[in-house]
Amino acid sequence: MNKNLLSLFQICDSGLPTGAFSHSFGLESYIQVDIVKDQKTFFEWLRVYVHDQLIYTDGLVCRLVYEALEQQNFQEIWEWDRMLMVQNLPRETREGTQMIGDRLLKIAQSLYDFPVLALYRDRIDKKKAFAHPSIVFTMIAYGLQVSKEDAILYYLYSASSSLVQNAVRAIPLGQTAGIMITHKFHPELQLAMKKIMQLTENDFGIVSPGLELSQMHHERVNIRIFMS
Amino acid sequence: MTSWTGELSLDLEDRKGKTVARNVFFQGAFKVMRPIYHDDTGKVCYYLLNPGGGYLDGDRYRMKVTANKGAKVTLTTQSATKVYKTPKGYAYQETDIVLEKGSYLEFLPDPLIAYENARYLQKNTIRMESGAIFLYTDILTPGWSPSGKKFSYHTVQLVNKIYFDGKLAVFDHIKLSPGKQDISGLGFMEGYSHIGSMIVIGEQTNAELLDELYEIILSQGADMKYGLSELVISGLSIRILANSTQVIERIIFECRRLIHEKWFGMTPNSLRKY
Repeated sequence: MNKNLLSLFQICDSGLPTGAFSHSFGLESYIQVDIVKDQKTFFEWLRVYVHDQLIYTDGLVCRLVYEALEQQNFQEIWEWDRMLMVQNLPRETREGTQMIGDRLLKIAQSLYDFPVLALYRDRIDKKKAFAHPSIVFTMIAYGLQVSKEDAILYYLYSASSSLVQNAVRAIPLGQTAGIMITHKFHPELQLAMKKIMQLTENDFGIVSPGLELSQMHHERVNIRIFMS
Repeated sequence: MTSWTGELSLDLEDRKGKTVARNVFFQGAFKVMRPIYHDDTGKVCYYLLNPGGGYLDGDRYRMKVTANKGAKVTLTTQSATKVYKTPKGYAYQETDIVLEKGSYLEFLPDPLIAYENARYLQKNTIRMESGAIFLYTDILTPGWSPSGKKFSYHTVQLVNKIYFDGKLAVFDHIKLSPGKQDISGLGFMEGYSHIGSMIVIGEQTNAELLDELYEIILSQGADMKYGLSELVISGLSIRILANSTQVIERIIFECRRLIHEKWFGMTPNSLRKY
């Protein structure tokens, strides 16, 4: 593993203080009604979440932002920042993602001085951008000269591994079950990355009705350990 | 590609408290019936209809509606939108709606029914100014096939974009491809057959309204799943999964009634068509 990949790997750590720890992105709604209750049902939920929501939003934008960075087309990046924000109709999920994006940017700026990070921060401060983790992550990966495919794959890994950690606590599952799920999920991440490479801009923002509705409904879940 | 199977454009303005058409144009397989005034508020209601009875292979429909300053309008359809099988090219409909300051426009089409092997793409683009109010609903049914099999259509794709004072504020994209997805399963329709959506944008939106809408939906006591949430701008969206058009229509009607009562101080008429 080269040094730069190791640096990106640090950003994928689910222990990174981004606040992702506090967000289930609708998973908790399913846990409350006992639809997600064990290793098997959680795996299925994660599979749908990644293949039918994440690839069309964060995943696709990872790729498009990487390509925009290659062309130094910053305007396009700011447009995707807005797109990601306005397509996220469930308020908690939207605000949670924004918070995670903001914290990840703060962490990134403390570690790296890639100029685009400061540009993003400046726009956020001026309320011209919102902050999104997939955009910040891509900026770091690009700055570290990690390939586009790896950038996408590692982003997907990072997003899914923090959800596994959250599932382990919330369902709850044993730590071993968590490790098993993550391991079994590797081929799904590879597949998701390959799908993302084939998507076009017209595929942006496709949501699965059930997932989205559960993310909205989380606002009305009474006892909760997650903010989304 | 400049030829349209059906084209319709409506330009509406407020004339001394009554909304009237400044310009009406339609051609091909798209028509609008005579304006109807359901009450004495000056709000006009237009029923859109598709004289062909349904959308066929490669059909392309375009609609443009402008609600000028202070205009108040209800747009609905005369019956369900039916999309028949499209072996060669998908059926397409695009709608552009402009709402100027102080206007109110509600677009309440009947359900969409996609037949076996139908492919359909719908794009709605709304451009509104602050101070306008927009209310939109749609209902997607599981379609229809001779064998009675549900979800036999190929693809239904619905895209809604709402620009508020020139900036994109809502992007809503649903694409159902039952052949490629476990459509009844977790994350998709979750055992239900119908999906309803409602988007409302208005400066008066607040937490109290969301709580009341939530109570109204709950009080229906129907077998359904729902979610509602505030948008980036002052407004909200609602999604409902249920097993019949009627359940979703009732919820939509009740939510719309509450909003009309709170924001306009009056109960809306039913849009009875049959």
